[in-house]
Amino acid sequence: MEIKNLIEAIAKALVDNPDQVTVRPVEGEQITVLELRVHPSDLGKVIGKQGRTARSIRTILGAAGMKLKKRFTLEILE
Amino acid sequence: MTTQLSPEQAESNYLARIGSLVGEIIHYGGFDLKSTVRKSNATGEGPDAAEIVVNFEGPDSDLLLEKNAALLDALEYVVLKAVRVDDELNGRFSFDCDGWRQVRAEELKLTALMAAKQAIETGSPFHLTPMNSRERRIVHLALKEETAVRTMSEGSGPSRKVVIYPTTSPS
Repeated sequence: MEIKNLIEAIAKALVDNPDQVTVRPVEGEQITVLELRVHPSDLGKVIGKQGRTARSIRTILGAAGMKLKKRFTLEILE
Repeated sequence: MTTQLSPEQAESNYLARIGSLVGEIIHYGGFDLKSTVRKSNATGEGPDAAEIVVNFEGPDSDLLLEKNAALLDALEYVVLKAVRVDDELNGRFSFDCDGWRQVRAEELKLTALMAAKQAIETGSPFHLTPMNSRERRIVHLALKEETAVRTMSEGSGPSRKVVIYPTTSPS
């Protein structure tokens, strides 16, 4: 799944512990939720100041979804 | 990573990492875009204008520039964060598409001048729409010489915006 790889590539580039990055797609009828897990110490790296990094990742995800005519949401889990 | 790199080495190091992450995002995101790196000799706006520009072109340029270039800004933010560009180098990198940065800067300058005029005429502060730090800076600089107003950034996070205050009462 390319979209899973997209989030994985971005998250791995952002964190200190790339081997601890996992993305699990949970497919619903209308929407696919991507559950992103990172090492607890890397949480701030994927969320960013006032959530700006997470917001930027969601913007990229939304645009990729538009190309596929599918909806995706990103959940960042501890 | 304590090895001392020359500025040129540091720069080509960043460029390689920027290029590889941008490539992955374009590929996995299914974006129909091509990116090229352009070095300008800082001939742009102001002494610290971006010197290294990652330029995008292709059929998905429109997608990149929708909603005031939300996707272009998001890409720039994430990629520069990931590459961890030193603070002193950060302003030197910029992502662009179809000359957007220049067009947007001109648009912001015009907006700033019109808003200042309105603030002076009405004698009340003019609140601009929320902008990121680069865009707020353009507005502040555009009105630096205008003594009839002073500008402040107010609010926090994504809702931070420039407010233009008249310094004189309306005549």
